[in-house]
Amino acid sequence: MSTSLRDVALIWAIPILLGIALATGLAWLRTSDSTTAVAKTATGPVQRWAKVAVDLPTSQTLFPPGNGADIANAQCLICHSAGMVLRQPPLTQDEWADEINKMRNSFGAPLPPDQVEVLAKYLHSIDGSQSPGGHSVLDGQGS
Amino acid sequence: MQRSIFQPSQSSRRQFLAHVGGIGLGGLLGAPAWDAMAATLAQLPFANGRRERVTNFPQKGAVLLQRTRPPLLETPFEVFDQGVFTPNDRFYVRWHLANIPSVVDPATFRLNIRGHVRHPTSLTLDDLVRKFKPFEIAAVNQCSGNSRGFFNPRVPGGQWANGAMGNARWKGVRLKDVLERADVKAGALQVRFNGLDNGVIPQTPDFMKSLAIDHARDGEVMIAYEMNGEPLPLLNGFPLRLVVPGWYATYWVKMLDDIEVLDKPDDNFWTTKAYLIPDTPFASIVPGQTGVKMVPINRMLPRSFFTNVQDGAVLKVGQTTIVRGIAFGGDTGLAKALFSADSGGRWQEAQLGPDHGKYGFRQWEVPLRLSSPGPHKLMIKALNTAGIAQPDHANWNGAGFMRNVIESVSVQAA
Repeated sequence: MSTSLRDVALIWAIPILLGIALATGLAWLRTSDSTTAVAKTATGPVQRWAKVAVDLPTSQTLFPPGNGADIANAQCLICHSAGMVLRQPPLTQDEWADEINKMRNSFGAPLPPDQVEVLAKYLHSIDGSQSPGGHSVLDGQGS
Repeated sequence: MQRSIFQPSQSSRRQFLAHVGGIGLGGLLGAPAWDAMAATLAQLPFANGRRERVTNFPQKGAVLLQRTRPPLLETPFEVFDQGVFTPNDRFYVRWHLANIPSVVDPATFRLNIRGHVRHPTSLTLDDLVRKFKPFEIAAVNQCSGNSRGFFNPRVPGGQWANGAMGNARWKGVRLKDVLERADVKAGALQVRFNGLDNGVIPQTPDFMKSLAIDHARDGEVMIAYEMNGEPLPLLNGFPLRLVVPGWYATYWVKMLDDIEVLDKPDDNFWTTKAYLIPDTPFASIVPGQTGVKMVPINRMLPRSFFTNVQDGAVLKVGQTTIVRGIAFGGDTGLAKALFSADSGGRWQEAQLGPDHGKYGFRQWEVPLRLSSPGPHKLMIKALNTAGIAQPDHANWNGAGFMRNVIESVSVQAA
């Protein structure tokens, strides 16, 4: 390589290297700037804005065997686990039907109308109820 | 009199670390083995009240499992004996809809304020921390259906004992200040709040709640980014939760990311069809009563509890025992906690612990000396600064909301 060519290469290399150094430096500054900001507020909430990622437990509980358990497993478990259903107090079959219809009408459960009775009968049969009758005193709210 | 038992609140960080230690041990044993070891049973005092104590929910210690998905977790009642601030890792959890984000990235999270405003605004978490004056308040968060399991006749819904409540120091910004930034237009009626959670199927109404515009701008309703000095656990609403001091928790929207100012009444399902109460004193009706005007649930009622004696406790005759508990005034401060050792015949004022603000729990205590052997019924009654006292008879409504009857425990002196 001739002297003049080397000079030309150097002349080009200097700004390129400077540019790389500058860009790297800026990138480093940006990084360190945010790091500094975090460090400065170590006692405040800012440094705690870490991403939060969790695993929510899943439930393997199925409804106990019985005529209608297949409907319960196929339908109820779409939106919620079985636990809260199994922890309800004894309800009449009509009260269970009201609950099921609340799930259909208010929350969009895709349960066909002709399965309501079978499912209500099933839920009533597993809830420890002693008697099937009784006037409902419930107001069937969505909560 | 014995030395006061009023205790400072326990460090939730210490409990958190203990929990992390548990996870580490779980890693060694294998998660199922650990779960089996940690899962013990609790019996809530009503039919079908057996509940598992579980430790497998993220950022949570031992809590009572009401439902896995979407999570309903109850605070074991002994936690309330440990201080007036409920540790974050024991704080109860209640979600309506199972599509809950399991990842929240503060880098991309935005809180939007829109609707009937001049300047629709999108805020980062750092904006909230840096551009607004911080606001802090101690307040009880109580599920509308707390204590539903005690309703008689029983009603469907989450079958909670008394642990669907907690008290925390909430830190964040006033909703009023955030609304001002967006410049609410004249004619605004309500403000509607929505969080990141959704139903599993699109037909399920998104969970949203509204407050009247004047309530939203009262300077107490706030957006919390900290709970007891730490970011909120995800299950309690990370990164932001609406705090509505004195009002039932249904309004305290979790994972709050959308605030919409409305110029007409909110007609969404959760406001108009759910969380309605009879418009009667203590929201109480006779079971089966019909034709009652229903209104959205709102202000909390006064309550008080025993935390260091339970039904069946045996106390030594002639010996002084410190009986203690917690109380709160509901939508206003607690004036008095009144104690009776004779089934409500005579009442004496309990000594109250430090006041951390009118919306929070306060501890109460009385020295009790039973001189005659046999059964004794102890009672505790809160009276708030508006003159409302807990009722002698349990209030009742079909949704199982707002129970606040005087609490009692039956003990034996021997």
